[in-house]
Amino acid sequence: MNTIRLYLHSMRMLLKCQLEYPVSFFLQALAQLVMEGGEMMAVILIIDRFDRLNQWETGDLFFFFGIMSVTFYLTECFGRGLTGNFPSLIRTGQLDTLLTRPRGVLTQILCSAVDPRRITCIAVGTAALVIGCRLSHVQWTLPKAAAFAEAILFGCMLILALFMIEAIFMIYSVKSVELVNALSYGGRSACEYPIDIYPRPLRILFTAVAPFALVLHVPSAYILEKPLYGWPSWTAFVCPLAGAVFFGLIYVVFRKAMTHYRSTGS
Amino acid sequence: MRTYLSVFRLRRRMETQYRGAMIGGIICQVMFGLILIALYRALYQNKPQAMPVGHVVTYVWLQQAFFRMLLASDPDLLDKIRTGGIAYDLCRPVNLYAFYYVRIMAQKITGSLMRAVPMLILAALLPEGWGISLPDSLPGLLLSLPALLLGLFCVTALENITMAFTMRTLDPRGIQALLNLLMMTLSGNILPLTLFPDSWQRVITLLPYAQLLDAPIRLYTGDVPPAAAGRILLIQALWTAALTGLGYWLWQRHQRRLVLQGG
Amino acid sequence: MKYIQVNGLRKTFTVRKKREKGRLLREREAVPALQDISFQIDRGELVGYIGPNGAGKSTTVKILSGILTPDSGEVLVEGRIPWKDRREHARRIGVVFGQRMQLWWDVPILDSYDLLKEIYLLPDADYRSRLKELTEALQLGSLLRTPLRQLSLGQRMRAELCGSLLHRPGLLFLDEPSIGLDAVSKLALRDFLKWENREHGTTVLLTTHDMEDVAALCSRVMVLGHGKKLYDGDLPTLLSRYDTVRTVTVRFEQPDILPELPGAAGISREGDLVRVEYSPQMIPTPDILQGLQQAGTIRELTIQPENIDYLIASMYREMEL
Repeated sequence: MNTIRLYLHSMRMLLKCQLEYPVSFFLQALAQLVMEGGEMMAVILIIDRFDRLNQWETGDLFFFFGIMSVTFYLTECFGRGLTGNFPSLIRTGQLDTLLTRPRGVLTQILCSAVDPRRITCIAVGTAALVIGCRLSHVQWTLPKAAAFAEAILFGCMLILALFMIEAIFMIYSVKSVELVNALSYGGRSACEYPIDIYPRPLRILFTAVAPFALVLHVPSAYILEKPLYGWPSWTAFVCPLAGAVFFGLIYVVFRKAMTHYRSTGS
Repeated sequence: MRTYLSVFRLRRRMETQYRGAMIGGIICQVMFGLILIALYRALYQNKPQAMPVGHVVTYVWLQQAFFRMLLASDPDLLDKIRTGGIAYDLCRPVNLYAFYYVRIMAQKITGSLMRAVPMLILAALLPEGWGISLPDSLPGLLLSLPALLLGLFCVTALENITMAFTMRTLDPRGIQALLNLLMMTLSGNILPLTLFPDSWQRVITLLPYAQLLDAPIRLYTGDVPPAAAGRILLIQALWTAALTGLGYWLWQRHQRRLVLQGG
Repeated sequence: MKYIQVNGLRKTFTVRKKREKGRLLREREAVPALQDISFQIDRGELVGYIGPNGAGKSTTVKILSGILTPDSGEVLVEGRIPWKDRREHARRIGVVFGQRMQLWWDVPILDSYDLLKEIYLLPDADYRSRLKELTEALQLGSLLRTPLRQLSLGQRMRAELCGSLLHRPGLLFLDEPSIGLDAVSKLALRDFLKWENREHGTTVLLTTHDMEDVAALCSRVMVLGHGKKLYDGDLPTLLSRYDTVRTVTVRFEQPDILPELPGAAGISREGDLVRVEYSPQMIPTPDILQGLQQAGTIRELTIQPENIDYLIASMYREMEL
């Protein structure tokens, strides 16, 4: 409870900071809109040329793109402390300051930044979801809504955890951060489309290693009433938990890594 | 001339220092290549297109291999603009247009060649249908090389112009992000230009962004027969001349203004 | 048991060397930052922690404040191990890094304090009374609604101090707090630290290169060099060891006296001022004064010890730092 209050308080303050420079904020939000719009355009162009992808029709593809987009940018918006701000926390020694305070390190890292510009990207993703639901004639029910909420929530945890791996690399001052990008951004690119179109190695990578498919695609397929691999519907509620498990595992490693943190400067 | 050569050498040395980052970058790039190819292969299974899937695969690998020619991120330069350190450059007794031209080009060449060679070798070793295929014809290959060079001149000139513009804004990040997106989309990195709607392609392939990679790749894969290469090379040359001229004029004006203001 | 107990503290950093030509992997080199440091500090002490750059001062402070984990050795602050009991420990300490700001740049400092209240979970009444007390002592009242970025360096340091003391820490770490401050701010800072120490019994560990600060504030100094503790005691005793040259300046009633003082290093006259240089180890100060009084009637006399920075520099030289 205290943690949530602290987070909300921090967010209020950070927003206040950002709005000190309204013009820059507006322009950057606009730039984000155009960028995510461009991503979506690529999907539209592909659909325009190819119509469908195996069993997945136009609306389904919009839905898959939308749920990934919303989840990813929600994480980048509210988890910016980890997804974007962490290198500068280390470089400027701010992480030292966080460690001298009586709150969890991860909590404070998440409280250190927010990126409201992503709201425009989230809007594009939401639009894709709405279009997808329309075209695929999705009938919303309570269980479907629950599966959707679960997918978004655990999806955010999964993506946060992937960026946490990046943070762990940095704590050990390893420079090959792009390696991790292959998993996080690569995962986003790949899993904008349903997992079952990919060959086995990629399926395994994004199911067993970075479980985007379990967290986002199984519930999505359930909502679209085209169960992935014909799995029973209860899997749509259990599989997303993989995101929480993944987060838990990485968090343990992160805790361990923090004891090796060597700080910078004098 | 010696000054510009040394700029080139310095950039190269800086690039080679981050070997770890480079290997990570290659792996990341290969990963993206594989994902895209898997996607296009799946799409082709549903609805084969006029252009064979092998061409798309080759297109993707060449795009990934020369990715750094598109986006030669030069954080030093951006930082310099933001912090005002660029004022030092303005004091140098060199032609600013040439100075930045060389710097941008050096970044593009060194960044991409060191990545392109291992990546292309890797892509050639991949199994049929996943790896890069040989050029369609020898003339096609031979013509794609000057096309790549001309494309490089063209895009460097283009970026030099955007540099001149971003230097005037306080925070170039927003604009830079937009320009990067334009570059990625219109050069065919996000989606091969060959998969754009045909009516769009007629326009997009004429734009300068398409000259860098799209044009030489089409010559390589034989999408554009060697006989039609003259038209491509002509377009490239025209763009290069026009953009270089415009850029040179802009920088001259820019430099004069800065000198008048006293730096 | 002492308030702070440090026993056999060791910390080594591994540094990756530049890759040599022809080798695939870079070599690693172990750089010892702290080698067997031990000390104890009582509650309410004001301790100066000095040493040249790279001696390991910051490493010690970072271990004591729970940021770094040492390789071996024991640290207990109020019976707690800082890096194991990090959160509970953090509640009881305050940290000010001179070159780092912990307050938020773009918002009024009061907003920063409100967030700190949330972070430290301070009760309302407690927070308000403490804030009132600190803003008065640090003269921040009129600045509370000003964003940090608009404050001068001195004001910023005061604001930082207030922020790190809001939760009434029993132990305060200061790392180069007076760097870049003007004379007025520096004196205000010293006065405040003395006040806080006297009023609340706050223990202070001050890391600095500013010997004037140490001389004005600290009853005890520890000297660190090459990761080892080289001295632990009061400042005058430390200085007397290296205090090789003092200067007495005298003005006599009669202008043309040049006294003879056996044992003095040098005697010279400039106008009607006589300057005597001597080493207190060679000849005690009372003997010098006696000799001068015998030479004539003294109108004015000052004794000047050598500049403290020179002393420290010669000490570092002697310790081969």
